[in-house]
Amino acid sequence: MKKTTRRTFLASAAAAIPAVATAAVAPGAVKDNPAFKTCPRARGGKNASRFPQVIVQDQHKEKAWFYEDLIADKVVLVSFTSVKGEKYYPLLSNLVKVHEMIEDRIGKEVQMYTVTTDPYHDTPEDLKALAEKHGARWRFLTGAPEDIREILASFNARGSLYALSWIGNEKTGRWMNKPSRLQPLFITEAVGRLSTGKQHKPFLVDDHSV
Amino acid sequence: MAKRRDVLKAGAVAVASTPAIFGGAAIPRAAQAQLCRPEGIRSPLTEPDSPPVRHYHEPLYITPAMSEVDPATLSPPPDPNRHQRYDEFQPVKHYVQRMTEGLWNYHEDLSVLNPLGFGSLAWMFNGATPGETLVARYGEPVFIRRYNDLPMTEDALIPFGLPYTTLHLHNAHTASESDGWPGDFVGPGEYWDHHHAMMYARNDPNEALASLWYHDHMLDFTATNVYAGLSAMATFYDDIDSGDENDPNPDALRLPGTYGKYDVSIILHDVRFDQFGNPAYNVFDTDGHLGDLITVNRKVSPYLEVEPRKYRFRIYDGGPSRFYELGLADESEMFVICNDGNLLEEPVSVTSIVLGPANRHDVIIDFSRYSVGQSVNLLNIMEQVNGQGPTGRRLEGPDRMPVMQFRIKPLEGPDNSRIPDFMRKLPHVNLNEVVAEREWVFDHDMGLWTINHEFMDPTKVSAAPRQGTAEIWTFRNAGTSWAHPVHVHFEEFQVLEWNGRPPTGVLRSRKDVATLGPGDSARVFYRFDDFLGRYPIHCHNNVHEDNAMMARWDIIPNGGDDDD
Ligand SMILES: [Cu+2]
Repeated sequence: MKKTTRRTFLASAAAAIPAVATAAVAPGAVKDNPAFKTCPRARGGKNASRFPQVIVQDQHKEKAWFYEDLIADKVVLVSFTSVKGEKYYPLLSNLVKVHEMIEDRIGKEVQMYTVTTDPYHDTPEDLKALAEKHGARWRFLTGAPEDIREILASFNARGSLYALSWIGNEKTGRWMNKPSRLQPLFITEAVGRLSTGKQHKPFLVDDHSV
Repeated sequence: MAKRRDVLKAGAVAVASTPAIFGGAAIPRAAQAQLCRPEGIRSPLTEPDSPPVRHYHEPLYITPAMSEVDPATLSPPPDPNRHQRYDEFQPVKHYVQRMTEGLWNYHEDLSVLNPLGFGSLAWMFNGATPGETLVARYGEPVFIRRYNDLPMTEDALIPFGLPYTTLHLHNAHTASESDGWPGDFVGPGEYWDHHHAMMYARNDPNEALASLWYHDHMLDFTATNVYAGLSAMATFYDDIDSGDENDPNPDALRLPGTYGKYDVSIILHDVRFDQFGNPAYNVFDTDGHLGDLITVNRKVSPYLEVEPRKYRFRIYDGGPSRFYELGLADESEMFVICNDGNLLEEPVSVTSIVLGPANRHDVIIDFSRYSVGQSVNLLNIMEQVNGQGPTGRRLEGPDRMPVMQFRIKPLEGPDNSRIPDFMRKLPHVNLNEVVAEREWVFDHDMGLWTINHEFMDPTKVSAAPRQGTAEIWTFRNAGTSWAHPVHVHFEEFQVLEWNGRPPTGVLRSRKDVATLGPGDSARVFYRFDDFLGRYPIHCHNNVHEDNAMMARWDIIPNGGDDDD
């Protein structure tokens, strides 16, 4: 292998992106509006360009840039439901069990989010009530419907019911998913598997042959 | 420009007076959408194209046979206690493979783009992808030690996949612990031992397997790890399918022979490359992944110089999600001699072959109809626009996808190979032995891929046939627009009915992948003999497999507890 360091490779990769992204920037007014970040999109994150640059709001009405604040440089567990969807296909009780298993890491190494699939109806207050009803103590996200739809689309989440949870580590850029209703242990295991350093656990239940 | 924190505060104030609009009041929504439409919202039709390449520019890479190592050099030595029937089938050939990350020349035009050096990023076996072919022979048991020397995840340069591996010898009649169970993975710095008994199933020579492949089977990461390069081929020979076209044995089939010369294995992987010539993969598309360039033995649309004589090509669809209809540009004749790598009773003359992921066909092409200096292209004419499956239409004219080119060079010697009228009898199917019938329904629901409405749970045993029994299994695709290549480990099946009708032609065969189109069903015959343990059944669109379209079934001792 030629002696090019990984860092110079990444730098050249990053340098190539803005040229494309900048071409899409609308002029003038948009750029000056403080409410918007202008393209190019956030840098540094391995999958930054995949996610929309939008503001979301949680059940406590705390706001955040979806990628930069909530995803970049973190290990995350992102699930999807809604007040209405939960009636037809309940997920939260299962995810609460997952939360119990990784509770000591939540807010530190691991972030857990549920994005509403029904931003047209689900207000922060609705999501607060939904979370409290299930004893779910992680962040529930809503926002402008168009923004949330873009977030859903970036996870390939189509329709008002979407039963996959995505686990990602944006330090390494690796993502995987698990059915939200799978045995909670295996969802937890996915979080451990994508974690790095001392938190990396290739398995929680050793499934190896002899 | 305002700092981000300030923006958020401003937004919060704005929300108080204009609820549900996060500071966006000044900008029409449409304009905002145009402003920052993320790359993340990508469909297979909007994936960035690979950089341009010259087709038929690279020579085909012919994968060499694995080379033996002295078993005395294995440290620690093989542990007989961790392999079923090891003492009965003591290895006579030993191999070592090391999996590493490095650069592989898929194509000169891509390799020069890489600031890392000449080549495209790849995960390889002993420095190459595909890895060396396991050329084995019935009666000669094999031992393979595989070291995972890939970098740790945080140091891996390939931006997808997970550097934990388990290797499956696809189609082999192998004990569970050497089969590549998805949970039998090892991480960087570790190794796993594989023992292949090289016995015919039920000691019946009619059960001989011919064209197999080995590939990564890491739980949740098979599609990406294989895409990164962790796949290769295997060729099993025996007394009649001996690989020697001059074999003096009167029973020998004398098919075009000599591994790597007139008996050539080619595996297809469709790959999409980024602007630096590295493989690119969209992990967020759970329907599947399509490449826009067809690689053959990990060379982009290569060429092969051939003599005007008969060749045996073992053609593999290495996936992850592409289906092919392959034909020569002049639509001339090929003879299919194997389905899923197993000899048919009789050769079938065709002008094209259809392959789903993991399907294999061996074909004999007779280039003696061409003259020296001519060339003929192999093309894919199956239209597919997303990972779900083919559209049902055929590509025409310039839309046909280049696969590879054959260039005719002078004949080097006599062609003593044959296309026999009869090859190998199909093993006997005795329906009176059937003790159970099972149905496996492949479906899709709310983003989930399911088998019998469930998703992969490696601790759940979905079926437990008894050793020494036979069963009828039905695979049914309940979807309306998806294709699922259904693969069962350990045993292969014979088709009893396909969509209610008995099989004919190439389908009258022993198979290990049932490629089901929307609404299709296949009723097949299985026997469970020789080994015990757990095996998966899964969709071999590896993207579906990784999205939990897999189930575990176990072979249990006859007379053991019934947990059906
Ligand atoms: Cu499938």
